[in-house]
Amino acid sequence: MTILQKVKNFVRSRSIHVAYVDVGSCNGCDIEVLACLSPRYDIEQYGIFVHNNPREADILLVIGAYTPGWEEKLRGLWEKIPPPKAAIAIGNCPISGCLFARPHTLVDPPVAKHIPIAAQVPGCPPRPTEILSAILSVAPTIFADYEVKTK
Amino acid sequence: MKRTVDVSFPVGPVHPCWKEPARVKCETRGEYVVSAEVELGYMKKGIERIMKGRPWQEVMFLAERVCGICSVIHNMVFIEALEHISGIDVPRRAALLRVIVNELDRMQSHLLANFSYCYTIEHETLAMYLLDVREKVMDQLERITGARVTCAYIVPGGVRFDLRPEDAQALRLSLSAIGEEVMRYTDMFANGPLIALRSRGIGILTKEAAREAYAVGPTARASGLGDIDRRLRHPTYQSLGFSPIVRTEGDNYARIMVRFQEIAQSIGLIQKCLDELPAGPIRGGGIPGAGEIAYSMEAPRGELTYFVRTDAAGRVLEISIQTPSIMNIEACCHYMLTGVSSLADVTSTFVSSDPCIACTER
Repeated sequence: MTILQKVKNFVRSRSIHVAYVDVGSCNGCDIEVLACLSPRYDIEQYGIFVHNNPREADILLVIGAYTPGWEEKLRGLWEKIPPPKAAIAIGNCPISGCLFARPHTLVDPPVAKHIPIAAQVPGCPPRPTEILSAILSVAPTIFADYEVKTK
Repeated sequence: MKRTVDVSFPVGPVHPCWKEPARVKCETRGEYVVSAEVELGYMKKGIERIMKGRPWQEVMFLAERVCGICSVIHNMVFIEALEHISGIDVPRRAALLRVIVNELDRMQSHLLANFSYCYTIEHETLAMYLLDVREKVMDQLERITGARVTCAYIVPGGVRFDLRPEDAQALRLSLSAIGEEVMRYTDMFANGPLIALRSRGIGILTKEAAREAYAVGPTARASGLGDIDRRLRHPTYQSLGFSPIVRTEGDNYARIMVRFQEIAQSIGLIQKCLDELPAGPIRGGGIPGAGEIAYSMEAPRGELTYFVRTDAAGRVLEISIQTPSIMNIEACCHYMLTGVSSLADVTSTFVSSDPCIACTER
């Protein structure tokens, strides 16, 4: 491994930019993601920055059970994110649809049908600590030695 | 009359300041907003369609997930509607515990709304302070109900868990600490000169406009409409001597201050409940039966109405939900945003009306 790659790995491990997108949830997971910002969980001490701007994001947190309004839009949002990138499904909704996946529903879970999902955090809603640990455990596997892996 | 419009400026659906997707289309002349329209449809899940024909035991959990921020009030309105249909009595202890949990939920919702506003006007210090206080409120909510967000605490005839004496003690201690901090942050907000520049006189909703737009909740109370608070008609709140908080300015500043004052009021209500809490059972008897009712109660964002029709087995035949945010979003777009002089104030004005897209579209 070159020195440049080592520097890149070190810098990337301390600067993970996060965007979140709600594709039709009940809001419960959104506020748990927001709670990660609070001084108690202090997401920025791990070098994670929540911008909610897809163009400078590394990790996309997908919340919700994919409503028809997001067709084409979610794919476009995912393509706006520059590589290396990863999507994490937060909550039961993007994994299985939770209790919205019933007869007569409008949602179309799972989100993994529409964009590639790297990790899933089950829970209705998951605790902020679980969201934090998911981001922290996914980040090194995606970002470390990215140039070597894609060569 | 011919209208001159320079730019049609869309905000959203994914925007750094917004928790949920919504698109606001502003027609602007320079930076002056001539008119605004909201475009919804990113969160429509069809909860009412799923609810139809299901037993109340399932609909109860679905009702909670109409809105994750104010889940307790959705649970409470649906269960109290069932209780009114079937004539189920609630013991006094359970009624007071419901008020305690509902007011804790209102506190965390208001703190989150004020956090969003402070974050949007980029006063990040105050925003983080408020989010920290909110965690303390969430701790108490978790201590009483067992869950942070979707707790399903209220069941027909009472509540699920009793409040143990040590929990009541911890709640009292925590409430006094929260009260002090909220008072400090209210002062910071009320007297901050830069906050006043971004908030006072911006996004004005006059009393007449609020009445025309059927604004509800803190948005209407900041414009001088006090009598729309549905807690005035709830027997438990009546017995606690509740009276709503009203301000008359009608701008962003007033809407945030109403929420701050309501947090302090909620602390007072919970302390009063704890003082009056009698010993006794927390669950009465009763099985939900057939009937129909339209039942309203005050959610953190305003009036929430459930129309429910059930059959003899307790299945929900028909249900329709009217949530508060739709009226506030319309009031925001047609009255508050019109005449906003800068595009930076569009997001802060929209956030100050505390829109909840998840419960608007369901």
